[in-house]
Amino acid sequence: MKILVVAEMQLGKLKPSNRATIRMAQDLAAQNGGTFSMMLVGHQIGDAASELNNFGAETLYVIDAPAFEHYLADTLTDAISKLVKEYGFDRVLGGEATTARDFFPRLAGALDAGMCRGVCGLTQVDGSTCYQRPVFSGMALRTERIHTPIHLITVDPTAMGEPDAGGAGEVVPFDAGVSANEGVQFVELQRAASERPDLSVADRVVGAGRGIKSADYLDTIGKLADKLGAAVGATRAVVDAGWLPNEFQVGQTGKAIAPKLYIAIGISGAVQHAAGIRGAKTIVAINKDAEAPIFKIADIGLVADLFDVVPQLIENL
Amino acid sequence: MKILVTVKPVADPNTPPAAWIESEQGKSGSVNYVANYFDLIAVEQAIQFKDMGVDDICIVSVTDESKMAQVRSAIAMGANRATLIDPEDRKLGAYQLAAAIAHVVKKEQPAFVLMGKQATDDDASQVGPILAGILGWPQATFVSQIEFNDDKSRVKVGRETDEGVEVLDVKLPAVITCDLRLNEPRYATLPNLIKSKKAPMERLKFSELGIDENPRVTVEGYSLPKGRSGETKMVADASELVATLKEMKLVD
Ligand SMILES: Cc1cc2nc3c(=O)[nH]c(=O)nc-3n(C[C@H](O)[C@H](O)[C@H](O)COP(=O)(O)OP(=O)(O)OC[C@H]3O[C@@H](n4cnc5c(N)ncnc54)[C@H](O)[C@@H]3O)c2cc1C
Ligand SMILES: Nc1ncnc2c1ncn2[C@@H]1O[C@H](COP(=O)(O)O)[C@@H](O)[C@H]1O
Repeated sequence: MKILVVAEMQLGKLKPSNRATIRMAQDLAAQNGGTFSMMLVGHQIGDAASELNNFGAETLYVIDAPAFEHYLADTLTDAISKLVKEYGFDRVLGGEATTARDFFPRLAGALDAGMCRGVCGLTQVDGSTCYQRPVFSGMALRTERIHTPIHLITVDPTAMGEPDAGGAGEVVPFDAGVSANEGVQFVELQRAASERPDLSVADRVVGAGRGIKSADYLDTIGKLADKLGAAVGATRAVVDAGWLPNEFQVGQTGKAIAPKLYIAIGISGAVQHAAGIRGAKTIVAINKDAEAPIFKIADIGLVADLFDVVPQLIENL
Repeated sequence: MKILVTVKPVADPNTPPAAWIESEQGKSGSVNYVANYFDLIAVEQAIQFKDMGVDDICIVSVTDESKMAQVRSAIAMGANRATLIDPEDRKLGAYQLAAAIAHVVKKEQPAFVLMGKQATDDDASQVGPILAGILGWPQATFVSQIEFNDDKSRVKVGRETDEGVEVLDVKLPAVITCDLRLNEPRYATLPNLIKSKKAPMERLKFSELGIDENPRVTVEGYSLPKGRSGETKMVADASELVATLKEMKLVD
């Protein structure tokens, strides 16, 4: 088995989710007797490459070219496809995210390979490794088997532990032979600046729902988050109302998060939202409706008016 | 201008998970089907493009006759016609679905293909980019804004990503998958539902398309996720909440 980990950068830094992907590569290699290598793509990424090279990979392929300054599915797929064919990788792993959700299936189309998305566990069925993944808004788990020689896997970053440290692999610059293509051009990234921790990986998250009534109350929610050193997340209702940009959305169609502490404020707990917080260690729900479904998944519940409680929390914490 | 829009009938998202699993395993038929919500957004977008010279909207669905009502409801929103591919009792995976849709795309040569970003049952989020990979077309996924350039040879799209809204300039033909905030799908009116029965429907069979029959991925089984552990501890007020959080060492 020859495993390739597609490591990724985000806004100039290594993505934290790479670690979960490397963990799964280490598990797969140990279970099946194989080795894993990694690849990193971007422009002027030398420092990130050496930071990444600490996990016992055989080789680290570095694709460093101006065409990869911005993430684009088309060029990245061409580069990975070339690397996979040239070195005969039969397992390709990446971290589940909006990037991997975009380029992995394209790669599946280009390589005619089977793919499983958002894999949260490995399991043995009749002596071969199968993949477990959430389906139906995370309300069910499905075990899938891939029959093609190449398996494409995206790993749920909230489901895996930390990778083992290891030696550095040989660094091999790889010429993907890909230049900027006129089919798709990057124009810009519209991003709300935030001083708070990154929602995807924060240890503590304060989640705001429609119960906060207006965008004005986000200042108060923000004060609570800052008291806790927490990131702010939101339901779709809040994002749809335009109170926060879409990258704050948690849930089936937003981010899946796994903080140690999630405080859901004025959130009903719809299945699509719950799908994104299943990995949280402790869920606290503050809602004035004792019947709200959020209390079914919460570890700690407080039935009260959030407009009373939140200022008291800011005061007392 | 011709565009193709894909529509998948899916189990109603409110179906209890155990009942859904049974129906997926062919053990019971008590599940209600609806058109995948993201696909209705794609259909709505196609209809809104009628002002821009889109005059032929063809729905493509890989589904059997028993789910025709869901396809019709999408046509009744304002599409012109449909092509249906009967899977003939096969449980098709994402690759085979994309290959079947690619067959129709090659025949119809549309200006572009609009799809949902994911099916709310499989949560695969794969068929769109696989299709783009098979065709070698540009792709834009999770699109929440879209506009044509002047000569309609390209579109400018806003994509919803973990980092923010990414704006791309994409050459047509392309595969575009739709996210929630693109629009609010309209309801099909009763007269249009009745009219939709007369919309031209082409019927194909999966086995006629010359696609490799071997599945790339098969389902080995289902389970229910472990529920969140234990009871909910109810607290009376903010100070008890703070005390509890401190006791559990969740805050300092
Ligand atoms: C295809 C699809 C995908 C979706 N994906 C997502 C997703 O990824 N993420 C997501 O979040 N949603 C998603 N949704 C939407 C989801 O179904 C819910 O509509 C949404 O999560 C509801 O948000 P909410 O809890 O903020 O609002 P509501 O459901 O309106 O809940 C507001 C809550 O606030 C409480 N409240 C009101 N006032 C107060 C007060 N003063 N004090 C205390 N409590 C108060 C109310 O009791 C209520 O429980 C999706 C929907 C669809 C159809
Ligand atoms: N059986 C099908 N028939 C038509 N379109 C489909 C089918 N399955 C998936 N699609 C399209 O592909 C999108 C993504 O589906 P998925 O990759 O399964 O999450 C859906 O929103 C549909 O537009």
